[in-house]
Amino acid sequence: MKIAVLVKHVPDTYGERRLDPATGWADRTAGDQVIDEISERAVEVALAHKDQDRSTEVVVVTMGPPQATDALRKALAMGADRAVHVLDDALAGADLMVTATVLATALRPERFDLVIAGNESTDGRGGMLPALLAEMLGLPLLSALRTVGLTEREVSGTRITDAASTQVRAQLPAVISITEQLPDARFAGLRGIMAAKRKPQAKLTLAALGLEEPRPRTVVTSTTAVPGRTGGPRIEDDGSAARQLADFLADRHLI
Amino acid sequence: MSTAPTTRRFSGLSARARWVVGAIAAVTVLVALVVLARWAWGLAGVQDFVARYPGVATGATRTGTPAWVDILHFFNLFLMALMIKSGLMIHRTRRPAAHWTRRGRALLARSRTRPATITLEQWFHVSLDLTWLVVGATFVVLLFTSGRWVRLVPTSWDVVPNALSVVLQYLSLHWPQESTWVAYNALQMLTYFVTVFVLAPISAATGLRLSELWPKQAAINRYYPIERARAVHFPTMWLFAAFIVVHVAMVMATGAVANLNHMFGARPGDSLVGVLVFTASAVVVAGAWLAARPVLLRPLAALTGKVTR
Repeated sequence: MKIAVLVKHVPDTYGERRLDPATGWADRTAGDQVIDEISERAVEVALAHKDQDRSTEVVVVTMGPPQATDALRKALAMGADRAVHVLDDALAGADLMVTATVLATALRPERFDLVIAGNESTDGRGGMLPALLAEMLGLPLLSALRTVGLTEREVSGTRITDAASTQVRAQLPAVISITEQLPDARFAGLRGIMAAKRKPQAKLTLAALGLEEPRPRTVVTSTTAVPGRTGGPRIEDDGSAARQLADFLADRHLI
Repeated sequence: MSTAPTTRRFSGLSARARWVVGAIAAVTVLVALVVLARWAWGLAGVQDFVARYPGVATGATRTGTPAWVDILHFFNLFLMALMIKSGLMIHRTRRPAAHWTRRGRALLARSRTRPATITLEQWFHVSLDLTWLVVGATFVVLLFTSGRWVRLVPTSWDVVPNALSVVLQYLSLHWPQESTWVAYNALQMLTYFVTVFVLAPISAATGLRLSELWPKQAAINRYYPIERARAVHFPTMWLFAAFIVVHVAMVMATGAVANLNHMFGARPGDSLVGVLVFTASAVVVAGAWLAARPVLLRPLAALTGKVTR
């Protein structure tokens, strides 16, 4: 079986994240940049299947700036077989449609049995990419899976929404997106890190994919920084603190 | 995360500026003390004092350094270096590299509650600490059963004037002719005694209080709160570090080849055995220091517990 896992290199949620006020894009120079946690889980889903069936080929695919190689290397160190990096300066600030078009073009000739993506990235949080990709590739989509079962012919799982959880299944080839209820990713060991250096990493430009320079259809009209926290009112107990507290909560319709 | 209070306390100096100012101040004080001591050396009373207390306390003599001292000394310095490294790792880590949960039954006390999960950094530190306690206990037992304790534990009050005399001799640059193969000088004796029998137990007791091994419901916790232990534990590291710096400097300055033969070669004399064993030990410690990274610690921690994110 041939599995593609989409990974994304994102600003670390552990530190402070910023938008570039001029472009409205995520500032990729502030703080650490890491492989998205949901991407790691997606890789884990593929590798768990590879543990069962050694003939499985796991290919990690990303579109992103040069630093995104780090995310690919991490996935390779965990045990993926090879990596594909779509890298082109013209792709800076790509919106969902551009990203989906480019990734679909990169994935199509490989004829994967299964494409695994996270349900949404921690930076953009669009959550639409798996659906766009499935539409463009003409494949069925099982989104927001809490569990994944995989056989030679079929993928199945529990799909969760706010309203319900549903048992779903689809014939392969298919696209799935997973949620963070799936198991934590494994750690990359020293052997994996060393082996990752020798694994093939393909770099693809727009020209190599035969695509024109993309025109994003989304425009950022404004960005606003989250206002800094201000100190709240302070209540000293002069005998009426309980009443003041109750009034404070009642004023805000909290009680 | 907040470093603001410390910065303010030192009137807004950066860390590097503080180190530079501190180093300049230390050198200035040292030079002033040397000048003072050299002046005092000329006084008749001082000459008599030094003649009366040449530097070794009564009853401190016990010739020779057996191999077990050298072996335990190596393990001690190896563990001490890694304990400082792992302690600083705990101090600096904002996001643990992994978490560790005990597998199977507890070694010391059987608990009904779920085993605690600690960070990989804490696991590393505590594992080293417990090994160090075993090494230390072995050392103390052998020290007293072999009778060698007289080299470290003062048995006579003349250790104080003798130590003063040694300080004076060093500061006035009339360094004493030492024979540590036979006995330590009074200043060494006091320093080693305080390090082994005061500083080490304090750091162990405070460290134990900070660890998950300490019972959370113990009655003594009221009088020995964790905050107090935390306030003491980290500064003990600075004292150990200061000891190491001065100790290594003095060993190297007062006949390095002979001293290294005692502590790394278990022999007197001027052969190169001690130097070679010391160099090999230093390489091992440096290698372990550099190798102590999450990618290697994780598989090590997985031998005794469950390693998770």
